[in-house]
Amino acid sequence: MIKDFEYFAPKTLKEALTLLDKYQDEGKIICGGQSLLILMRQGLVAPKYLIDIKGLSELNYIKDAKEGLRLGATTTHRAIEKSPLIQKKYSVLAEMERRLASIQTRNWGSIGGNVCHGDPAGDPAPVLMALNATLTTTSLKGERNMAVEDFCLDYFETALKPGELLTEIQIPAVPPRTGTAYTKFNVIESDLATVGVAVSVTLGSGDGVCQEVRIALGASAPTPMRAKKAEAVLKGKKLTDNLLAEAGEVASTEAEPISDIYASAEYRRELVKVLVRRVAKEALARAKA
Amino acid sequence: MKKELKLTVNGQPYELYVNPKTLLVQVLRDHIGLTGSKRGCNDSSCGACTVVLNGMAVKSCSILAMQANGAEVLTVEGLADGAKLHPLQKAFLDHGAFQCGFCTSGMLMASRALLEENPKPTKEQIKEGIDGNICRCTGYNSIIRAVTAVVKGEYKEAK
Amino acid sequence: MSKYSVIGTRVHRVDGPEKITGNAKYTFDMVLPNMLYGKILRSPHPHAKILKIDTSKAEKLIGVKAIVTGKDTIGKKQGIWRRFPELCDEEILCREKVRYIGDPVAAVAAVDEDTAEEALDLIEVEYEPLPAVFDPLEAIKEEAPQIHEGVELNINVTRHIEWGDVDEAFKKCDHIREDQFKCSSQAHVCMETHDAVASFDYGGKLTVWTSTQASYYIQALLAGMLGLREGDVRVIKPPTGGGFGSKFELDSTQFCASVLSMKICKPVKIVLSREEEFTATKRRTPMYYYLKLGAKKDGTLLAKEVRVITDGGAYTGMGATALYLTGFFSSFPYKYPNYRYDGYRAYTNTAPTSAMRGFGAPQSTFAGESQLDMMAEDLGIDQIEIRRKNGMTPDYEVPGQAFIQSCGLHQCLDKIDEHIKQRGKLPPNHGIGIASYGFMSGGIFNWFDTPYAFSAALVRINIDGKVDLFTGACDIGQGSDTTLSMICAEELGIGLEDIRIHSGDTGICPADLGAWGSRETLMNGNAVKMAAADAKRQLMEFAAAKLGVNIVYDMDIKDRWIHLVDRPERGVSYFDIVKEAIRGRDGEVIIGRGHYTPHRKGMISPAYSFGVQAAEVAVDVETGRYKLVNVTTAHESGTVINPVGIEGQLEGAIMMAGGYGFCEDQPMDEGKILNPSIADYKLIRSLDMPETEILEVDTYEPEGPFGAKEAGEGLTNPTAGAIANAVYKAVGVRINNLPITPEKVFRALQEKKKKG
Repeated sequence: MIKDFEYFAPKTLKEALTLLDKYQDEGKIICGGQSLLILMRQGLVAPKYLIDIKGLSELNYIKDAKEGLRLGATTTHRAIEKSPLIQKKYSVLAEMERRLASIQTRNWGSIGGNVCHGDPAGDPAPVLMALNATLTTTSLKGERNMAVEDFCLDYFETALKPGELLTEIQIPAVPPRTGTAYTKFNVIESDLATVGVAVSVTLGSGDGVCQEVRIALGASAPTPMRAKKAEAVLKGKKLTDNLLAEAGEVASTEAEPISDIYASAEYRRELVKVLVRRVAKEALARAKA
Repeated sequence: MKKELKLTVNGQPYELYVNPKTLLVQVLRDHIGLTGSKRGCNDSSCGACTVVLNGMAVKSCSILAMQANGAEVLTVEGLADGAKLHPLQKAFLDHGAFQCGFCTSGMLMASRALLEENPKPTKEQIKEGIDGNICRCTGYNSIIRAVTAVVKGEYKEAK
Repeated sequence: MSKYSVIGTRVHRVDGPEKITGNAKYTFDMVLPNMLYGKILRSPHPHAKILKIDTSKAEKLIGVKAIVTGKDTIGKKQGIWRRFPELCDEEILCREKVRYIGDPVAAVAAVDEDTAEEALDLIEVEYEPLPAVFDPLEAIKEEAPQIHEGVELNINVTRHIEWGDVDEAFKKCDHIREDQFKCSSQAHVCMETHDAVASFDYGGKLTVWTSTQASYYIQALLAGMLGLREGDVRVIKPPTGGGFGSKFELDSTQFCASVLSMKICKPVKIVLSREEEFTATKRRTPMYYYLKLGAKKDGTLLAKEVRVITDGGAYTGMGATALYLTGFFSSFPYKYPNYRYDGYRAYTNTAPTSAMRGFGAPQSTFAGESQLDMMAEDLGIDQIEIRRKNGMTPDYEVPGQAFIQSCGLHQCLDKIDEHIKQRGKLPPNHGIGIASYGFMSGGIFNWFDTPYAFSAALVRINIDGKVDLFTGACDIGQGSDTTLSMICAEELGIGLEDIRIHSGDTGICPADLGAWGSRETLMNGNAVKMAAADAKRQLMEFAAAKLGVNIVYDMDIKDRWIHLVDRPERGVSYFDIVKEAIRGRDGEVIIGRGHYTPHRKGMISPAYSFGVQAAEVAVDVETGRYKLVNVTTAHESGTVINPVGIEGQLEGAIMMAGGYGFCEDQPMDEGKILNPSIADYKLIRSLDMPETEILEVDTYEPEGPFGAKEAGEGLTNPTAGAIANAVYKAVGVRINNLPITPEKVFRALQEKKKKG
């Protein structure tokens, strides 16, 4: 049962920020509401003031520039999935979106809302981490920029301060000889990840040595996380099958998964081991292509 | 405090006053009286409430009615053109693509939205189109056959 | 060319137009003037005494119009096995004790749902928690808490089926296997949750609209529990969003809405939330299975011993039937010269377990077909061969239990054999597993103690030749309205569009035991056929007189033409005769009556349908995840009345039975179901659904209308077993407990690797 609240539909970002600033902890942002409304219907979240930014067109954009891609926070998952630009230049984002929940959810839910929800099993965060993404939070006091890793603090907890709103996600231009891939393990195709893995590999020119690598795990810890020790196994080396397997092993020790009714922690670690190897291999193939 | 809500449903404009916590599905079912869209869950998972909003398939239980302010909504009641059934409805009848019927309006609206966006979807895309909708009776395949038949042009009308 | 005009044709469902336009009004959609909304307060404890219920604060909440507790009832216990009072153990609104998390203790009626919900929070209940037990193996121990007074060791039902001498027979076997299996629970997940609108009027009459499989059962049980005469209770079944076995017993929505309505003489609507649907309605019976199978080295099965303990949950419901049927169907579909089954049902402090599509047979088929494959492998015999060697054949008698007339099992085996051969060499880690089954077409038992025929129908022919068909049969989506209309049309020789069916309304339809146990087509079909034949005979009298037909000639009606069978051109229009018949009888419409109750049809059912299913899986050996690639089923269900309906039933069964094997589960912690939501309870969706193929085998069942028998429930039996066998064929590991999850497969593969 949803508790009563006072509702605002600000027309500009400034209006929204003013309201947020006024109501601080008692105010809550809603955009697509695909996660928030479930919590509100179950009585788990009951804000006094609801600030609806779904209509803020100034935050709804997909902009590509030399430096990279900029996504407005209210951009829907479906827009990202269907964007010809993203399909061409940042295809892993479109692929990830295609397996996120259902078309209905993607039509209305936003990427900003998903990231702010802070679900460790969410699909976008690991992919954004693999893409070395940063994001911008805005308040009346100004803007803050940070890496996605630094935004995800704990289980369903982000670095958003009272009065702040996520406004943009930035994905740096993909360097040459870079491949990024994502997969998630589940039993039902469109389900939340039991374990999710995103890997980005950048090869050096000529010698094919791995110059840059990022391995991001979803549903493997209280927050989406970078498997930095596993990355260290690969960085600066020529990526053989054995090395990729080793990276998987190391990643599985770094992960801190939980046991729940879907999978035990040990099984999740096994999945991390296998999936890191597989996704890294796919990323490598894409980097070579 | 109630807020003014203006939206068009099945081509008909409505002006309502609603408590902002009202969900779109409640406006459709309880305020306007269009009970074709159903509710089958409390966590946005079953799709029985699917309607088409500004051309997009959405779960009406997961949208605050106020977010539909100024929007055009199509429900199952608006599929047929007067007495003329929509090709999807005819195909559903021919292929037995429903049994208890409770998920059916959601399936029809998800399919309608899919075909408006992409008139020639592949079988995989048709499956994706209804993947957000649970059916406990049919096993989905008859629904996929019905939509495929429409895609193939079997219900095209002679001009 | 088909000898039938209507049956066997592909038709639109008669309830199609209303359903595909959103016009069908389910109980879920009903709004009546002055209607109130009800909510039920449920126990948070698995086992506790109710010390005190204080509703005073809730009563003061504005908008609350009535609150009831067990004290507002006449204090009876009910159960569907009415002939056995010891099995009628459920009060619904608990008076002294609660026995599972979700057991109702109070109900509120208010002006809207939110107010009713708020009121629940204001009701103060003082409980004295009692020790609880959650596993049947624990519940039957001496030290376990007693859940129902007078039920020792919490075992409230036992069943025994035996023929031959298994102990002697085992001595003669060349090979014996003993295996154990664990069959999980399963939730029905009807898209429309349980709901009811109850309206008690100032004249003392109660009308209840409800989503149900058996409006007659609800009528009778409500009357008993409310102290009303059956005739003063009318139960109406609007279009119903699924049942699958969950909706033919009296449930908390119907009962609480009625008690509330009786208190204030206003309509009260109660709709269960999806969470309540998962936690507080009945579910599939989990079972511990022990099987001992003995065979000769040529594959002849000599003896089978079965011991089952089922988890009964807090109340009996239909659990006694599930206990019996699982033991009976453990002998299916093979000829065992010696057989023994002992079944025990134990109460536990969990949501009651009762009937779900298959009714104990999916469990017995999973265990039995898994073991049979293992036996075949031990003996070095092909999986199809061992089934051929022992499979039931037409006109077989299960000793002392059942007469099987039509049986197409062998043709089904042939078709699946061919299908597997056609698939040829499979890619690595792919496997095809098979499972055979047989299932009943309605039960012969009258534990409900009804004085009425099990099925009855009434046909009324109006002046324009249009027929009203009245039947208590309940269409819950399975299509009985259409199938029965088709039978009526065929028998009367008219078109489907000439029939209008009225079903599931106890006020106007003759009683029918409802849609469960796969009984509607055979039992109600027979009743409808008889009613139509009765009406037809009355028309024929007039036609024969009008045509001046020689006594040696037979007459019939086909395509609305009443004619001589041998000289079809000599005849008269059905419509003309109808008019003359009515005029000739003082203006009385023609009424045909029919009924059916199985007599001397053995211990279980008048007829059985058989099939063989082949499931193909592709296993990812590194993770244990597998995909359901293809499920092909060869089945026979006698004459196919409604082909579109049967296809739908089969594909739908695969989704449900596949789910039972593949992903559906209700894990619990101390009696609390951990995944009571659609997001968390994993269901097969369109992207997960395998390719399905149906191979029809033609048979004819003398017991059934036009030779038809069940199709729809039997098809849920084989899939879990077929999947288990397929996984084994694919990667050599056997999972004996459901569901077969990727983690279980992964662990088994690791074990296998360790063993070298």
